[in-house]
Amino acid sequence: MIELQQICFSYADGTDGGLKKIDLSIKKGECVLLCGRSGCGKTTITRLVNGLIPNFFAGELDGKVSVGGMDISNTPMYEIASYVGSVFQNPRTQFFNVDTDSEIAFGIENEAIPPTELHIRLEDTSEALKIKHLRGRNIFELSGGEKQKIAFASIYAMNPDVYLLDEPSSNLDMTAICDLKEHLRLIKEQRKTILIAEHRLYYLMDLVDKIVYLSEGKIEGIYNQKTFSELSEATRKSIGLRAVNLNRIHPLSKKTLYPSAVLELKDVTLYYKKRAVMEHINLKAAKGEIIGMVGHNGVGKTTFLRTLCGLHKQYSGDFLWEGIAQNPKERMKRSYMVMQDVNYELFAETVEAECSLGIQNPDYGLIDRTLAELEMSDYRKRHPNTLSGGQKQRIAVAVSMICGKEILVFDEPTSGLDFDSMEQVAKLIKKISEDKIIFVVSHDYEFISQVCSRIVRFHQGMIADDFTLSAGSERKVGQVFGLEQNSDGKE
Amino acid sequence: MTPPTQKTKQFIHFDPRTKIILLILSMIIATTVPSLLFECVLIMFIAIFGLLCKKIRYSLIGTTVFMALYLFTVFYLQNSTGTMHTMFTAWLSLVFKVYPCGMLAGIAVSTTRVNEFLSAMSKAHIPKKIVIPFAVMMRYIPTIREDWHYIKDAMRLRDVSPSLKGFIKNPGMTIECVYVPLLMAASKAADELSIAAVTRGIENIRPRTCLVQIHFRIRDILVISCFLTLLIVGLFL
Amino acid sequence: MSNQVQNKKGLTVKDLIIMGVFAALLTVCSMIGGVFFAITPTLTFYFSIGAALLPGPVFLLLLAKVPKRWALTIIGAIVAVLSLVLGMHWAMCLGGLIGAALADVIAGTKKYRSKKMNILAYIVYSFGPTGTYFAYFINPQAWASTMLENGTTQDYITAMDSAANWRVLAVMIVGTILVAWISGFVGSKLLKKQFEKAGITA
Repeated sequence: MIELQQICFSYADGTDGGLKKIDLSIKKGECVLLCGRSGCGKTTITRLVNGLIPNFFAGELDGKVSVGGMDISNTPMYEIASYVGSVFQNPRTQFFNVDTDSEIAFGIENEAIPPTELHIRLEDTSEALKIKHLRGRNIFELSGGEKQKIAFASIYAMNPDVYLLDEPSSNLDMTAICDLKEHLRLIKEQRKTILIAEHRLYYLMDLVDKIVYLSEGKIEGIYNQKTFSELSEATRKSIGLRAVNLNRIHPLSKKTLYPSAVLELKDVTLYYKKRAVMEHINLKAAKGEIIGMVGHNGVGKTTFLRTLCGLHKQYSGDFLWEGIAQNPKERMKRSYMVMQDVNYELFAETVEAECSLGIQNPDYGLIDRTLAELEMSDYRKRHPNTLSGGQKQRIAVAVSMICGKEILVFDEPTSGLDFDSMEQVAKLIKKISEDKIIFVVSHDYEFISQVCSRIVRFHQGMIADDFTLSAGSERKVGQVFGLEQNSDGKE
Repeated sequence: MTPPTQKTKQFIHFDPRTKIILLILSMIIATTVPSLLFECVLIMFIAIFGLLCKKIRYSLIGTTVFMALYLFTVFYLQNSTGTMHTMFTAWLSLVFKVYPCGMLAGIAVSTTRVNEFLSAMSKAHIPKKIVIPFAVMMRYIPTIREDWHYIKDAMRLRDVSPSLKGFIKNPGMTIECVYVPLLMAASKAADELSIAAVTRGIENIRPRTCLVQIHFRIRDILVISCFLTLLIVGLFL
Repeated sequence: MSNQVQNKKGLTVKDLIIMGVFAALLTVCSMIGGVFFAITPTLTFYFSIGAALLPGPVFLLLLAKVPKRWALTIIGAIVAVLSLVLGMHWAMCLGGLIGAALADVIAGTKKYRSKKMNILAYIVYSFGPTGTYFAYFINPQAWASTMLENGTTQDYITAMDSAANWRVLAVMIVGTILVAWISGFVGSKLLKKQFEKAGITA
């Protein structure tokens, strides 16, 4: 079905992800996973198959790509679109329309399918993917997981022979990933050819036929389910891959002795649009703690953290720092949030300028030391927008350190990161945690096991669980994350 | 244009093209209106149309405000002089030219969905080169609001005030902090939107079909004829 | 430096989408800037001044990303359609379209690459919303007399003919030029300082 012959490719502007002499052949009905470190070329292969290279991304291409007999480089994109459907990782920027029905029908409208048939396809799609409850709604009101379902439905309605997914689970929580898995199972039963480029591997393990491991543009290994699960944990980590079986991830023991609590929340109730979102929150935290915030999307985690940082003002109750009540303005001076999309927080034209922005008399020595500590000194003169996602995150962390912030919040810091980057972020957070209180919002079980010392779970407007993370509480953490405990959950 | 939240039950559903035609007719009537009283009649027509579209509260408020301005004009302005008089006369003569269309536009916008409007545009054979940017514009306006919330949060955490005070204190920095993230996000969004559109065949040379089918019905013809009659009467008065 | 395909002549789908996104930004910026003026009786004529304040950098970046013929005209068209649907006066919609088309021609003289020309184009573009007000000023009595049953008062007529009236017109014109120039200038500075380095220009 899909043939890549002697492919060599390099991007015009020199970004990573080029390919060197790739030969790959995928049969009809196969489900193939492309994995590897960031920049290994897996996304590039998907772009070759759906025609974005050479129609959208410029570069030097040698070799031939054919899908179902079509020569991709010489076929216009709209013809390719009928055979190859692509789902991308960011739900927020994938939708073209404002309402769900139009979005699902977008692709088939482009194909000029007659109106009666459009309705039939729409009905069939919402039936098959079980999204009837999402029909006729405003896309802006949907959660990330729901948006991703609409994106998938839009491709399903076009009924392509090949499904291409580029890190589809990056921004999804565990429930949404389960739903995605069910959708993939459905199309696999329909004998569709599936190509997925992914970092999160565990949810695909019982779906894939072939696993292709890429490194620096070359295919370094082809596995099947059995041979892949036989890789030891050590090998897996050394080649930079995320967990294959989440039950094998064990929370690390962290230190259990902390100085006395510095931050205290007393009977805090949060209001959003006049409604109480969270009630009677009591929490104490000490410096050095790294607290994981868990809970379903929509439960109010973001509102809670924004209130903590002083950005959201509708609340009652007290926030105490070292025993003294803090008003929102004081909390704002003390806190910083590293957002899921760091781009909203980068303002200046060089990394250096970014570090001294907003500060009356910048301490250049401190700036130098901080950049060195975060291994960003080489990038001083670069424009922040030219850096990678992980590097941008580091700048945001540098800024918070330079501004002397004592409460730090990370919102989904590892979406879309490969294993090495995820470990780097974990290391970074642990390193700077000593004199700060750090809150981490994440769905990433691997990451939380590594980095958090404590878990706080929100459920139905209250704190449902608040426990320290250790080997002993592993089962509980697993439950909190909704892991299915296998009977042979031991190594 | 509103995106659908739940199935909004309107008393009577009108074709989006009808609303456009009514807007244009109202515009012509407002420009050629022989007297203010005639404009009152136009407002009445618009209010009734609004009631038909189940915009009851809106139509009532719209009519009341207009009546207030009308009475103010008739009783105060006719008989006064001086600078206040001149100022209000100038402003109100503009208001009266714009009010009917503004009121009708409010009804049209809140009862028409974006996808219906786009369907109307393609039925009118408006070229893709115009429909696509228009659709993207409608889809991106709410996103600007979302982006601005994030940017405001980020600015406040950095002690850069996103307000007039902050601008006066340090204009250069405020300008950069507002424009840079907003335009970068826009640039990135445009790229990702293009990819999402192109990989779903938007470049297809064949004309698109539309999920939402719109057609003229008796009620549309009736309503248009009413307004057309008003226009012709107005021209002759 | 971008790794994306640039070589197609004419407007590609990507260009059209960029135009849509930036048209959204232009509309929002001009609304935010101008709304205060539009609803205040004494200041309503200065709407175009307020509206010209914020969109400058957006306009300049748009031209840097889509330096092609018809981009501005099409944006003018869709913004005009939007204004029409929102009930604005026909003269404003028409003015907007003409302003955008003229801006397209002006910026096009230097292939959309000259910052000075682009700023001039922006100034011309900003005159679009003045359409209504020019239509008014051509014959203020006609507009007012339909409103006032007994015709316009002598006060009004003298006032509209007097220097005060011309002063308003002059402030409107000069103010728009000045503010649009500043906004465009800020835009060109931002382009140089940030956007070109960030790699998001064509």
